[in-house]
Amino acid sequence: MRTYVLRRLLALFPTLLFASIIVFVSVRLIPGDVIDLMLAQNDISADQDRARVEAALGLDRPMHVQYFRWAGAALQGDLGRSLWQNTPVVEQLAERLPISFELGVLALVIALSVAIPIGVYSALYQDTAGDYLTRSFSILMLAIPGFWLGTLVMVFPSVWWRWAPELEYTGFFENPVQNLRQMIVPATILGLSLSAVTMRMTRTMMLEVLRQDYVRTARAKGLPEKLVVVRHALRNGLIPVVTLVGLQAPFLIGGAVIMEQIFVIPGMGQLLLDAVSQRDYPIVSGVFLVVGASVLLINLAVDLSYGLLDPNVRYR
Amino acid sequence: MDVSVESVLGPVRPGRSPAADFLVRLFRDKPLGAAGGVIFLLFLCCGIFAGVLAPRGFNQVDLVHRFAPPSLEFPLGTDRLGRDMLSRILYGARISMIVGFCGAALSTVISVFIGVVAGYLGGRLDMTTQRAVDAWMAFPDLVLLIVVISVVGPGMPQIIVVLGLLYGIGGSRIVRGAVVSTREHMYVHSAQSIGASTPRILWRHILPNVMPVVIVLFTTRIGAVILSEAGLSFLGLGIPPPAPTWGSMLSGSARTYMYLGPWLALVPGLCITIVVYSVNVLGDALRDLLDPRMRGAR
Amino acid sequence: MRPWKVLATILVSCATLAAAENGGAVTPQYGGTLNIGTIYVTLSALSFDPADWNWKVNHDAGMVYEQLFAADLEQSAGQGGPYSFTSEGWLPPGAIRGELAESWEWEDPLTVVVRLRRGIRFPDKPGVMASRELDARDVVWSFERIAASPKASPGYYDHVTSVEARDDHTVVFHFNQYNAEWDLRFGYGYYSAILPRELAAVDTRDWRNLVGTGPFRLTRFVPGSSSTYERNPDYWDRERMGDETYPIPFVDRVIYRTIKDQATQHTALRTGKIDILEVVPWLAVEYLEQTTPELQWARYLSSVGHFLALRVDREPFDDVRVRRALNMAIDKREIVEHFYGGNAELFAYPMHPDFAGYFEPLEEMPPSVQELFAYDPVKARRLLAEAGYPNGFRFVVQTAAIDPDGNDMLPLIAGYLAKVGVVVEIQPLEYAAFLSAMTTKTHAAGYLMRSGIVNPFTSLRKSFASGQTWNPSMWADPEYDRRIEAAVRERDESERQRKIRELTAEMVDQAPYVWLPTPYNYVAWWPWVRNYGGELRAGAVRPAPIYARIWIDHELKRKLGF
Repeated sequence: MRTYVLRRLLALFPTLLFASIIVFVSVRLIPGDVIDLMLAQNDISADQDRARVEAALGLDRPMHVQYFRWAGAALQGDLGRSLWQNTPVVEQLAERLPISFELGVLALVIALSVAIPIGVYSALYQDTAGDYLTRSFSILMLAIPGFWLGTLVMVFPSVWWRWAPELEYTGFFENPVQNLRQMIVPATILGLSLSAVTMRMTRTMMLEVLRQDYVRTARAKGLPEKLVVVRHALRNGLIPVVTLVGLQAPFLIGGAVIMEQIFVIPGMGQLLLDAVSQRDYPIVSGVFLVVGASVLLINLAVDLSYGLLDPNVRYR
Repeated sequence: MDVSVESVLGPVRPGRSPAADFLVRLFRDKPLGAAGGVIFLLFLCCGIFAGVLAPRGFNQVDLVHRFAPPSLEFPLGTDRLGRDMLSRILYGARISMIVGFCGAALSTVISVFIGVVAGYLGGRLDMTTQRAVDAWMAFPDLVLLIVVISVVGPGMPQIIVVLGLLYGIGGSRIVRGAVVSTREHMYVHSAQSIGASTPRILWRHILPNVMPVVIVLFTTRIGAVILSEAGLSFLGLGIPPPAPTWGSMLSGSARTYMYLGPWLALVPGLCITIVVYSVNVLGDALRDLLDPRMRGAR
Repeated sequence: MRPWKVLATILVSCATLAAAENGGAVTPQYGGTLNIGTIYVTLSALSFDPADWNWKVNHDAGMVYEQLFAADLEQSAGQGGPYSFTSEGWLPPGAIRGELAESWEWEDPLTVVVRLRRGIRFPDKPGVMASRELDARDVVWSFERIAASPKASPGYYDHVTSVEARDDHTVVFHFNQYNAEWDLRFGYGYYSAILPRELAAVDTRDWRNLVGTGPFRLTRFVPGSSSTYERNPDYWDRERMGDETYPIPFVDRVIYRTIKDQATQHTALRTGKIDILEVVPWLAVEYLEQTTPELQWARYLSSVGHFLALRVDREPFDDVRVRRALNMAIDKREIVEHFYGGNAELFAYPMHPDFAGYFEPLEEMPPSVQELFAYDPVKARRLLAEAGYPNGFRFVVQTAAIDPDGNDMLPLIAGYLAKVGVVVEIQPLEYAAFLSAMTTKTHAAGYLMRSGIVNPFTSLRKSFASGQTWNPSMWADPEYDRRIEAAVRERDESERQRKIRELTAEMVDQAPYVWLPTPYNYVAWWPWVRNYGGELRAGAVRPAPIYARIWIDHELKRKLGF
């Protein structure tokens, strides 16, 4: 077990290295590079301007040299500076990451607290009205396009009651109430839409597990129903749920772009979108590195939790 | 409380073909799922017969009648250019169905292939595959989408392939998880011990056991791909105009000015919601019916 | 859309404001925070350093630094004057006042002497500089630094031989030729910030180091979200109201809010989360008026031209008949009437009606120019047939994916063109890819875009001079280049105006673009925003002097429930 964890942690490095090279190269391959954009400001741009600006930004060196410089600095915690504003990338990430993380955690908590009860309930009372009702609700929330629901919430309450969520970001520790007044609506929309997937997986596995031999055995032994459900069935049934948490991790940390845009939340998704559209390469690489590392760590935790939840799984 | 499998499925009359038998069971035991299936088929038909059903061309501009509210002439109203929304919705169904089906199929094939092979064979191959999947998953989708779509240009095939890959590789972890869990079960061990070949074990034991997961995955993906296409339209990276995709009808000016003509944003939004909902409840019903352990129990 | 209603609102609001302020009955109040969705509400600051040569720097950093010249806001329409101050980079000669300059004069035909105001101080900035008085050497240093930047636009300061400090408060500009844009280029223009020379020792691109003599200080910047400007308590300028003069700025804080989503912008306005929204498309106006009748409105003709550029360097658009045919095949009046609901001008590009003397209305143009704006599909077909395309042809039009108006407009254009047999294939591109397609000259035969009109000279030069970055039709005519230069160098104003009018008419006639109507936009603000009439710019994209003069009627704000 310990060697497994160690091996997985070590494996993080080649994975990140590989992925960071791909990101590093691919953002530079998108048509329209940062120099084009900067020179688009000018009346006339000539080749010599291009060379001058490239040199000023350090983009004139061969790509592998640029990469090794970046990676070398990154290992020491320096992710470079924004090509446009010249502010340290680490600073911007430090500002954005907690915002996205908060939104993600809120959404996840909402999702799980809706999904698991519904999933278990609808498995236990399969094909009853209650099953259909609760399940329908959860699936409906999945089926509604988030940006549409977000816009409805943004537009109509403001027309009817002149109410809108808070639209200027305040840190959670600065003023929790103010903060939640902005975050709770998008987090709920995100959370409810995530809940269906988790609910379904919970239900699927619950149904499967309820029929498996050991649950029947447990029942036959005369164990109280609640204990059977919780100890055996639910515990085993949590495997796909945990898998899904892992799957949603990148989405939760960097993927809430649309909600961030509608609800004016300065999170990682917006940072990435802006950086990509301005071709601010160091920010793109920085966002990627942080999101990537977080996702990989979450996935590792997910894999480890298989072992805790299902004693049959062995790590090799 | 008893969740008896027998009571759920009930007796089946002998002599009926398996397909018909299956349909009967679907309608009798899973009315919600069956309703979902019917709705989905309706939209599918709308898409297929859009050319016949639509009263006008989807791109027939009529500036004088712009923002017309629903009426006999325009049952679902018109948009900013005076185009008939009903016709656009019908043609939009076609595009959504194509994108949804193809994207979901592609992604499921990818997921099953990676998940089954890696999950069953395990060992070094599994380790390597999982790291590759990890690296892929750690990729912010947005960069990938913008890179690919900027390089190859926007269009339906590109979007299908990109979304297929995106969901396929990600979903392989779900399949793998199920395979690993199945592999550890006793009956596979026994099959191995009596010397069954690997493909046979995969086909006879592993695949049927992960089928529920795969089916749920596929149906989820149809919905997810349709939703993602809409999300891409929101970011301006969807299928280019004048193609009447529901996503593009829902983003841009229709969404911004939804109060000017509520029908503009409500109709495509509801269509997406209904299709994704129906395909999902259908998938759940199928899962319940196809579960191999249910069959084994009878 | 009922235009009379809008107009009435504007008139009423202007009248009330004018009455209130010019009558001197109202005493301005200090304090409060002004949240603004600026005309660039979707765009966060890209740079705070003028040496970056970013077009938007004046909008963001221009709150902190000042320039030699600025708009004379006492002549604004809101104050009963003749000027709307909504142009992107144009101040009519009569509307300019000295900002840091106290006065200026031509010492000889190629020498301008600028005398600086005395007693203007840079504030204390820990780590950068101690407070001190602005002097002429700062002006020289600022000019030289901007001109020497690696990102400088080639030729932009070619008319300047040198800039020198004659004494502490006198700066002398030596020119090698007259340039009608001299006061824009280093005066009220995009790249004319006056910064303290202490900045030579620090990183000027870092917004925290920004220091200037202007009305505000930048205290917080969250890219993609907001820029917060606090009042500079030692600001030198005063606002005259009636017989009184008041120190400005009135408000404690101005916050630029970056809100990308239009629906969210309108909600923010309606719920009072922003006080001013400077860009409201006409479609939203009626509804906002209905749901929020308190809002005040002003309408302005956009200073951004809309067009479909046709590449004249390749078939079939190398033939002027084809280009003219495409213009005639589109019913532009119908677009004005029904696509824009009357909120657009048929002809306002490449010359803007604001440029009095330079602009010639369509009715006064030659018949062959007027013909391009009259819908005539029959003649269009005939021209296409003459050019060898009796059955039309097919071409690709690139457009920016995130351009809601463009995405709505293109299917409409495609519809018109299909009627004369021309098939349009729409290709939306991500914005940066779209822009760089033009700057690297790899764009498609058709290119639907918008371009700032800026001022009477820039508009023609940047769009039609050979080799220019923003020349999507790839127009290249050395004779035309020479004539534009000659017009810019013309010292006599009426002669200069005549030349520009002539050049404009000729270029429109050549139809390198499918000329499309220019829409009107609206500015909306809550009634507690006082001493404001919807002015947008008091220099090239620089609103700082406008915001410094706004005050908030706190009581009214409370009364309205905010």
